[in-house]
Amino acid sequence: MRILWFVLSPLMALAVGLFFLGLSRRFMARIQWRVGPPLYQPLIDILRQFTQKSVSHGPLFDLGVVLSLASSFIVVLFMPLGGTAPLSSSGGLLAVLYLMLLGPLGIALSGGEAANPNVSIGISRKLILAVGYEVPFLMIVLALMTYYGTISIGEIVAAQRESASAIASFPLVFSGIAYLLILPAMLGVRPFEVVGAAQEISSGPAAEYGGPYLALATIQHGLTMFIGISLFVNLLWGGASNPVVFFLKMLVVFAFGFWVNAAFPRLRVEQAVRYLWRWPTLIAFVGLILVATIGR
Amino acid sequence: MDRNQLMKWIKAPTKMAHKYSLNAVYFCTGCGVIEVPPTITSRWDAERFGVVPTATARQANLFLITGYVSVKTLRAIIRTYEQMPEPKYTVGFGSCTINGGMYWDSYNTINQLDKYIPIDGYIAGCMPRPEAIFVAVTHLWTLIDKDMADGYKRYRKNYAAYRANQEMILGEMEWPPIFQTEVATAITEREG
Ligand code: SF4
Repeated sequence: MRILWFVLSPLMALAVGLFFLGLSRRFMARIQWRVGPPLYQPLIDILRQFTQKSVSHGPLFDLGVVLSLASSFIVVLFMPLGGTAPLSSSGGLLAVLYLMLLGPLGIALSGGEAANPNVSIGISRKLILAVGYEVPFLMIVLALMTYYGTISIGEIVAAQRESASAIASFPLVFSGIAYLLILPAMLGVRPFEVVGAAQEISSGPAAEYGGPYLALATIQHGLTMFIGISLFVNLLWGGASNPVVFFLKMLVVFAFGFWVNAAFPRLRVEQAVRYLWRWPTLIAFVGLILVATIGR
Repeated sequence: MDRNQLMKWIKAPTKMAHKYSLNAVYFCTGCGVIEVPPTITSRWDAERFGVVPTATARQANLFLITGYVSVKTLRAIIRTYEQMPEPKYTVGFGSCTINGGMYWDSYNTINQLDKYIPIDGYIAGCMPRPEAIFVAVTHLWTLIDKDMADGYKRYRKNYAAYRANQEMILGEMEWPPIFQTEVATAITEREG
């Protein structure tokens, strides 16, 4: 059974990530009173990009994209997607925390090789933004680990199934709110779309990607969305007992994220960091203190 | 539109993908560009046909040159065109790109864009309405279907001639030829 999940969960992440990419375009189109592209438009785009020829800027340019894509797939292996996680016994949340940084790092490595000023600005913004949401995110994860006394995502899900889900229980509700506040930043949507700002720095780190590179970067983007949302569902909303329920829960969180995306304009990067380090950090800190003093 | 016909997807997946995922880079030189914003936003919504604007040349496969081309922008247009990954399609927008339009005797605009980069199709008019862009896109679909949108192949084949034309207008160009051809011989042949 576990062997099966090794194959199934990356495939599910890929499918759901691409579905989310298509749905987000459709969702935004409907909010703007347009018809919008078909749901499978990302598939068409990726097929088109894979059949285009593109230049490479050197070995690191190739390897960086592969690194970030591979690390995203490995993070997915740690997630119980409504079942058991394939890698549940090896490191849990600590490994996820570490591996999640490899995604932006791989893109940074690869983009740095291209020596395009737009790419450099995009990368520095991406790292600044990552530092911005990583601080409250660490506090949230610390609070959860202290509360449940474990670093395994699977055990946290199981503990929530016995009692209430974390976001509905007293001290952890603060962590839940803080996670919801940093979710748009983790997904990279507006108001935190500072990294790939197309009108401003010509899509930032992806500016030099064409053809297959762009296809891989698009898939990686879909996986990042999948990871951000599924972490919330697993850690704070009690996971699910089967993949279908899990997917439905993810859909709700996704709708929230893209409602925010449609409603707000883009912040400047220092405004984004100022926001991230004020309210979400404060709330996550209160949550952490409460968990540490009151406990279970 | 045959986007929903599964058999065509199975028969020629790449061709279909190129048809229905036209990522356009707009070269906003002339007056014609004012028709592009309504085309891509809520009023005409080009995204429902898969036509979306992209920010950089590397991500694009459709090049729209919207209007007259001055000598200075020609240099940027050539660089942008050469940076786009193949296969790529170009569409000239408005009569200025066809024969110079109302600028044909101007001292600093070029008249025939097709001499410098290969153009797959033109949209006539001064200026064309957004509907004309959609007509152009459907024509481009037909051309791709029949393998007739082969500007990038023509560019590769006749690169020496194109480069010679470019150098005649721009003088010394600061980047080397992108294909290995005898540009010098082409120039001498023409002049001698
Ligand atoms: S064709 Fe007409 S509208 Fe277009 S750039 Fe020329 S003068 Fe302007």
